[in-house]
Amino acid sequence: MDTGRKTPVSYSQEDVEGEENTILIRRTLRSGQKFYYEGNVIVMGDVNPGAEVVATGHVIVMGQMRGMVHAGAEGDESAMVMAFRLLPTQLRIANHITRPPDDEEPGTFPEVAKIRNGVVTIESYQTGRAAV
Amino acid sequence: MGEVIVVTSGKGGVGKTTTTANLGTGLAQLGNKVALVDADIGLRNLDVVLGLENRIVYDITDVTGGHCRLRQALIKDKRYEGLFLLPAAQTKDKTSVNPGQMKELCEDLRQEFDYVIIDCPAGIEQGFKNAIAGADRAVVVTTPEVSAVRDADRIVGLLEAAELREPKLIVNRVRYKMVKAGDMMSIEDIIDILAIDLLGVVPEDEMVVITTNRGEAVICNDHSRSGQAYRNIVRRITGEQVPLLSLEEGGLMNRIRRMIGFK
Ligand SMILES: Nc1ncnc2c1ncn2[C@@H]1O[C@H](COP(=O)(O)OP(=O)(O)OP(=O)(O)O)[C@@H](O)[C@H]1O
Ligand SMILES: [Mg+2]
Repeated sequence: MDTGRKTPVSYSQEDVEGEENTILIRRTLRSGQKFYYEGNVIVMGDVNPGAEVVATGHVIVMGQMRGMVHAGAEGDESAMVMAFRLLPTQLRIANHITRPPDDEEPGTFPEVAKIRNGVVTIESYQTGRAAV
Repeated sequence: MGEVIVVTSGKGGVGKTTTTANLGTGLAQLGNKVALVDADIGLRNLDVVLGLENRIVYDITDVTGGHCRLRQALIKDKRYEGLFLLPAAQTKDKTSVNPGQMKELCEDLRQEFDYVIIDCPAGIEQGFKNAIAGADRAVVVTTPEVSAVRDADRIVGLLEAAELREPKLIVNRVRYKMVKAGDMMSIEDIIDILAIDLLGVVPEDEMVVITTNRGEAVICNDHSRSGQAYRNIVRRITGEQVPLLSLEEGGLMNRIRRMIGFK
């Protein structure tokens, strides 16, 4: 009989992060608006040019990320920035400050930015492989 | 009880005063009683655009300062029975009126008028705060330029913070040829960022300049494209559903699914 319940799945410590606080912003951040949070930030909306999101943890934008974003703002090099459209004016992770190349064509799919071998890299987001 | 609408933009020179004059004239043409309030204290303009400069005796600061009655300061339009202007002061600055006084003024005006339209100064400081203080709704004007859209976005954020929800957008001075050639931001590009409802699109039109210099509103000109655009916007403000003028423009707006009336 199907009770609607799922069998519990066990996760390894690496797969689950539960230590930090996470906050959900349920609107678009507009030019001139700045959001700072100690923990992870999820934006259900866009981050427009001229807006800023700063988090000590990860930043996930369920929309277009076009403003300034800083993940791992207190030095966490494992922090990531993920967005449905990752088109930031500037992207910072820990102490790394980057901007998109001037001639770059904007991506049209979800992407993740993270530090790999000491440089900020952007790659397409693949379900379940963000942390790899 | 009338409705108080503020026309604002952030960036200067994008067409707030032109829009205020045309919306006011258009609403009056439809038989409404309309008061236009020039909140751009120190840079008075609306009286000139309407050709009423030489009739000013009292201004907005005389009313808020209690030096005259509201009725004495209201100037009747030359052409339209129901159209009135409350002019700004030219020799004072924005701090001579405060948001509390503006609220009170709007309350008084809405008792007598169907529509009160406020011409907001550029910027986000005191003049802006005054202009929005007594408003029920906001119209945001932008041009298809990155900097104007950025400022409009800032304004929308500030309007939301001030509980003026769901502002409506007018895109002014659109040049369709340039948009088609990819040399100007398209309406879609602008909506994509601002994500607010479109109230209308006004083309770049030299008739605006010609009529403004004569102290007339372009909406009175039956043959101009910008006049037609303003007529449609006026009808949308009164709650009518009017399709976009620019749908005629080679499918430019095909991707905009919603055309929302003002109410
Ligand atoms: N659609 C248009 N086509 C051509 N010219 C226009 C159009 N709209 C406005 N203009 C011109 O642009 C100039 C600025 O317009 P307007 O004074 O309405 O802007 P504003 O936003 O009120 O400016 P300010 O911020 O200084 O108050 C004017 O000279 C006006 O005639
Ligand atoms: Mg003006």
